[in-house]
Amino acid sequence: MAILSPRMKGWLERFGCHIGTATKSGFPTTIVVEQAAVEGDSVVSFDLTDAQVNHIKDNMQENPYVALAPHAIASIRAAYQFKGAATLSGNTLKVDVKEIYCTKPGPEAALRLDTLPQEHVIKFEESRWRDVGPPK
Amino acid sequence: MKMNAEMLNSLRAIGQGGVVVHLTTCSSKGVPNTVGERFFSAFGDEHLVIADMFAQKTKVNLNENPFGVITVAHPVKGRYWAFRGPCMIIMWGEDENFDFHGAKAGDVLREWGDWASKDPPSEVPPDIRPPAVCQRGVITLKVDEAYSWKPDISGEKLL
Repeated sequence: MAILSPRMKGWLERFGCHIGTATKSGFPTTIVVEQAAVEGDSVVSFDLTDAQVNHIKDNMQENPYVALAPHAIASIRAAYQFKGAATLSGNTLKVDVKEIYCTKPGPEAALRLDTLPQEHVIKFEESRWRDVGPPK
Repeated sequence: MKMNAEMLNSLRAIGQGGVVVHLTTCSSKGVPNTVGERFFSAFGDEHLVIADMFAQKTKVNLNENPFGVITVAHPVKGRYWAFRGPCMIIMWGEDENFDFHGAKAGDVLREWGDWASKDPPSEVPPDIRPPAVCQRGVITLKVDEAYSWKPDISGEKLL
C-alpha cells in the first residue's frame, strides 16, 4: 500500500486530478475532475458527473487501473503521479493508490516514491519545493 | 484534423499565456501514465509538441503503443480540451525526412529540438526549474480528434 504525504493530499484535495484511463488494449481516455477527497493513507475519491461516468465506465469495466496527475495551472509544483486500482460505484470513483512517482523533468523523472520510507518522502519534498502544499 | 484558431492561439507554454498540459500514454497492456508538461506548443495546425526531457515511462509506452491524449485545462479561459491521436518521440538522430503523419522529423527538431534556447522557462520559479533543460527529442502528437473534458459534457466531440 502506498502512503500519500500531507503535501500530496493537499494538492489532490484542493485541485483534483487529470485521470488517465485506458481500454485493455491501451486506447487512452483522460478526464479532469477538479476536486477530490482523500480517505485514510491511500484512497482518493472523486465525485463524477453523469457525463464523466458515461465517458469512462467502459474503460473501468475492462481495465480499472488508472493514473492520476494533479490538476491546476500551478500543478508544475505538484510533480507527482499516482497509479492504482479504481472502483466506480454510481457517480463515485475511488482509487486505491499503489504507486507514486516523481514527475519532475530531468534526472528525477519517474523516481518511485512509494517504495521509500515516509520520512524520506517528506525530506525529499522539503528539499525540492519551498511550499508545503497547494496555493490557497 | 486541423485545430481551430482559438486552440492554435492558446496552445503555448505557460510563460506565454498557456498552461501546464497533461500527456496520457499507455502500455500495450493498458496501464496508463499521466504526466504534467510545461514545454508545450502547436506545430502547424494538426500536431502538438512537448519537449522530451527524458520522460522514461512515456518513452517505453510510446515505443509499444504509439498513441496519446493531451489534456489542456484552463477553466478560467474556457479551455476544456483533450486532443487524442498517434504519438511518438521524434528523437535527435532521426532521419530528417521521416514523416510522422504529415510532420517532417527535421522540421520538428529544427523548430522545437532546443526548447531552452527558443523558449526558456524564465517564468518557472527557481525551486521547481529543472537544473538543466536537457532534451532528448520532441514528443509529437497528431491530432485525430478533440473532445471536451468539461465535467457536464465530458467526451463531447470538439473536432
